[in-house]
Amino acid sequence: MFEKKKVMTSAGVEVRKKPLGLRIWTNRGYYVMFLPVAIFVLILNYWPMLGVRYSFYKATPITMNKGTNEFVGFANFTKLFETDAFWNAFQNTLELSIMKLLITTATAVIVSIFLNEMGNLLAKKTLQTIIYLPHFMSWAVVASVASLLLSPSVTGMVNGMLRDWGVLGEADKNIYFLADKEMWRPIFYIINIWKETGWGTIIFLATLSGINPEQYEAADIDGATRLQKMRYITMPALANTILTVLILNLAKVLNMFESVFVLYNDAVYDVSDVIGTYIYRQTFAVALPNYGYSTAVGLFRSLVGCLLFVICNWASKKVRGRGIV
Amino acid sequence: MAEKVVYRAKKKKIKLFDIVNYIVFILIGLLIMVPIWKVIVDSLNAVGVYQFRLWPDQFTVGAYRTILEEESLIRPFLNSVWTTVLGALLGLTLSTLGGYVLIQFDMPGRGLFATFLTITMIFSGGMIPEYLVMKELGLTNNTWILVVKHGLSVYNLVLMRNFFEGIPGSLYESARIDGCTPMGIFFKIVLPLSKAALASIGLMFAVAVWNDYSNVKIYIMDPLKVNFQYKLMVMVADGDTPNTTYGVAQSTLHNAGIIMAILPFMLLYPFLQKYFVKGVNIGAVKE
Repeated sequence: MFEKKKVMTSAGVEVRKKPLGLRIWTNRGYYVMFLPVAIFVLILNYWPMLGVRYSFYKATPITMNKGTNEFVGFANFTKLFETDAFWNAFQNTLELSIMKLLITTATAVIVSIFLNEMGNLLAKKTLQTIIYLPHFMSWAVVASVASLLLSPSVTGMVNGMLRDWGVLGEADKNIYFLADKEMWRPIFYIINIWKETGWGTIIFLATLSGINPEQYEAADIDGATRLQKMRYITMPALANTILTVLILNLAKVLNMFESVFVLYNDAVYDVSDVIGTYIYRQTFAVALPNYGYSTAVGLFRSLVGCLLFVICNWASKKVRGRGIV
Repeated sequence: MAEKVVYRAKKKKIKLFDIVNYIVFILIGLLIMVPIWKVIVDSLNAVGVYQFRLWPDQFTVGAYRTILEEESLIRPFLNSVWTTVLGALLGLTLSTLGGYVLIQFDMPGRGLFATFLTITMIFSGGMIPEYLVMKELGLTNNTWILVVKHGLSVYNLVLMRNFFEGIPGSLYESARIDGCTPMGIFFKIVLPLSKAALASIGLMFAVAVWNDYSNVKIYIMDPLKVNFQYKLMVMVADGDTPNTTYGVAQSTLHNAGIIMAILPFMLLYPFLQKYFVKGVNIGAVKE
């Protein structure tokens, strides 16, 4: 992304020959322009990085105020590795993100292949408008819609329909879907499909529009059917893009937070709690939080995230010749 | 003769495929639109029912009037509006400035700046250190947190940089030779040429600020300082709904809240769809 530009203008070559001091002086305007960006980056990104030192302290809100944080070495990390709730959250994060990634990518690929086959341009454009729409809704909105539709009260559409169809009898209680350990994950995946499939098609549609039409014409001459053309021309063309999408998103699997945060509840922590929500609860939903411990959890997540980044960056270079960023 | 037969058989096949394809896509379209339509209809109906209806049978705009008149609802809505506008403006300012500086290839230290930004995309301090910094800055329990938190996005800055790189270098050169300062080039040449990119990236910032829920939940306690997404979750998920007036059910108010929470972008979306979508492609251009 930031690699040096190879092409040199004639003026560019001349500038290179000037002494450093002069080059800095001629570019002084740019340094001034970068200043506000640098200030924001320092405050928002670098200052918090210094805060990871708290992971080696016992730091409650009281000791933070007094400045009497007690150094505890690796005690926070030892506690972390011995806590079942943390490992549960870690495992859930991986399972939920990876499943979500695979499912939404698969649906996006299928939808874009069939969307690409649509001859009528107006119909195609209309559909694209509709399927991109949910991406712009916030997770708060999507969760609100989901909890209204799935509500166990009399106004819940899904429960009402199940009753109408006779799936739920007179004696049965309405199902509280989002508080059901069996149901929560499938519902979470369905909501993700609903929200993100359409948006995911954009990159695949771009790849599909880049396929040389001569390939299809040649296949026509050989008497290939539409499904054969999809199988032998369209799918292989998409393979590289699919791999790229998977690699790019694999680096971010530990970031899952808001989508779970708005949909989970204490009845389903076992199957839904992720690292982000675990950190949140350890800090903001307990009487006397130990900032040191929650920082340690965050640091662990960041470090594993870095490792994933390195792996995915390496894979990305192999697959498409350039890194992730 | 034989050719004709082949041709006919093929044409028939295509038709069947197309019909199936259209049916499948009508179903997909319905799957997306049915929940949205149900929310719209229910927000205009005085009593809540579970059935899906095409039109409200007890039409009322009482829920919307409640939202506009009830202070605990309209204040969060207005907070959402002003933070979104300021957040998008700050975001655009920082990403255009940073993106422009990053294409100054003969500026000493450019690579250093790039690394300085890239590191933030790989490693972060995490939720709690960020919280402690914001607390130090007096931004907890402060609506401005939304503007500050979203005002800088290194990812968007890189998108902007990639777009600027596509502007022909000869334009910069000739302006420089004519004695234009870096600021002058930025305002007179770069920005006017980047209107489409500014629109898409501005929208990306706006959507991010408007849709934020987590940061409000983490940083803001005062119920009059929150944004509308947070207020919606408080109503629907926590069941903490203000008393409804105009004889509408609580569920009607919840549905109207959802509509208000998506309204600005749903109104803009049909007209600005290309700008909404373009952000993805700006990043992809540099293949």
